[in-house]
Amino acid sequence: MSESILETRGLSKAFGGLIAVDKVDMAVETGKITAIIGPNGAGKTTLFNLITGVYPASSGDIFFQGKPLKKEHAHTRATLGIARTFQNVLLFGNMTVLENIMTGQHPRSRYGFLESAFRLPKAHREEETISLNAMKYLNLVGLGMHAEQNALSLPLGQQKLLAIARALATEPKLVLLDEPGAGLNILEKRELSDLIHRIRDMGISVILVEHDMPLVMGIAEWVIVLDTGKKIAEGTAAQIQKDPKVIAAYLGEDED
Amino acid sequence: MLERVKRKWYYSVIVSLLVLLIVIPFDWFPGHYTTIMVLIGINTMVTVGLCLLLGYTGQVSLGHAAFYGIGAYFSAVLSKTYHLNPWLAMLIAAIATGAFAYVIGYPIFRLKGNYLAVATLALGVIVYILFGKLAPGGPDGIAGIPNLSIGGFAFDTWFKRYFLVWGFCLVVLLISQNIVNSRSGRALRAIHGSEAAAESIGINVDRFKVKIFVLSCVYASLAGSLLAHSMAHISPSSFDPMVSVIVVVMAVMGGLASIWGAVFGAGIVVMLKHELLLGFGELEIIIYGLILMLVMIFMPEGLFVWLKSSYVKLKELYIRWRLGQIRRGAET
Repeated sequence: MSESILETRGLSKAFGGLIAVDKVDMAVETGKITAIIGPNGAGKTTLFNLITGVYPASSGDIFFQGKPLKKEHAHTRATLGIARTFQNVLLFGNMTVLENIMTGQHPRSRYGFLESAFRLPKAHREEETISLNAMKYLNLVGLGMHAEQNALSLPLGQQKLLAIARALATEPKLVLLDEPGAGLNILEKRELSDLIHRIRDMGISVILVEHDMPLVMGIAEWVIVLDTGKKIAEGTAAQIQKDPKVIAAYLGEDED
Repeated sequence: MLERVKRKWYYSVIVSLLVLLIVIPFDWFPGHYTTIMVLIGINTMVTVGLCLLLGYTGQVSLGHAAFYGIGAYFSAVLSKTYHLNPWLAMLIAAIATGAFAYVIGYPIFRLKGNYLAVATLALGVIVYILFGKLAPGGPDGIAGIPNLSIGGFAFDTWFKRYFLVWGFCLVVLLISQNIVNSRSGRALRAIHGSEAAAESIGINVDRFKVKIFVLSCVYASLAGSLLAHSMAHISPSSFDPMVSVIVVVMAVMGGLASIWGAVFGAGIVVMLKHELLLGFGELEIIIYGLILMLVMIFMPEGLFVWLKSSYVKLKELYIRWRLGQIRRGAET
């Protein structure tokens, strides 16, 4: 196997008595599209939250490009190159579409309060790059026409694209998409898989959690299956579809 | 395009403010209006700070009078008791207030929403009581605070103080406006929008909250110093917890997420307090409550934004009427 961008070893998370993620070992290959699937409550989103540092792991380790992540705050993980989207989108409703993406450039710019307060040349220079880059990501997801609109005035499908653009604006090496296809129609889903391919072609590794099996099987180059917090299988889409353990997890096992 | 319209608004507001400011203090106004204008300027500075914190970052503070008071007391004590140059006293006051805000900022911003509101309210009450018990002068306060002066030029009349205060106020307004439209300003608004999303794109939420809190408290401190050196007398009652609430009323009236709205909010409330509601005594507070409710219901974005959108609507109507005229002209 080639080099992995993200690795977890014995990663666990317990909420009181409930073990949401149970000793997961996984390796995500650089430059690939990896899907994490599993029934509801399998711990997929918890796994995302552990990787992005929303809450600390109960035990186990996470390595990003070989470096341990455990002690890093959520915001420093973004600076290191891990971006994400959320199941419930979480756009900034008090900003325009373009401003949402410009905010995504935060970790790639430096100027602070002092430079902005007095409009120092550094602020001007960086602001120019920020808006140019933001336009680039805006056009990548095809929302160029809506730049000045309020972010929440977009329909859900476009809001999800905007959330992806905002994540890409942090110029990540790895992007985690939490159910990007949920609530989209067939046309929007097709656009979404195109976009995910384009992201991969930009050299960004992608991990997605998704319930839509045709979408997953169509784009994922590697599939990891979770059930009740444990990794039960991994492989290519074709291998997974034939795995008896996966079928059992989705359809329910016969009790003996 | 939109950007240009925004900028046009921005400059026309500044220009009209400047014109107003230069015209207002002249002789044909009754003398005490100059005093009121000074108070409006001072209150605007406190309000702008709260707008940055509450309107843009979404973090409530119901204890801003504490920082306003700390600035005033530091200035008063240092310049009167220790005979420091008032400017130096003002600077030390601002630094001390900023440091205090920084130290309590980290623990206090672990709280959110209602809990934060209660904690800041408690802070306001504690500091107010300390002013009465520990600060020199006790409940009577400090009198005979020296004026600010540059070289031999002392700001010893209200007319002169008027320019001093509004000079400070304009700088504060411009700085705040610049911050709002910058990388830091977007980070603040992002925190208001969604803290989880803000963290996920690399914004250090805790640090930004503390930073804007410190800035906001430094504004309050500067305003407090200006108050002390202008009034020559301060007492704990100028910084009681009610004052914090009135600052919130000013911010809401002007529009929470509107820097220039703060001028309107402070202007209206100070006018009410010192002119229209003079005879009302205790009833004053009921009227503020009423105003707060009415503004929240009918102009949730504040007076300033409401005026702005009414202007746009009027302009639209005018354009439609003109278009109709032209069309009719073409037909005949």
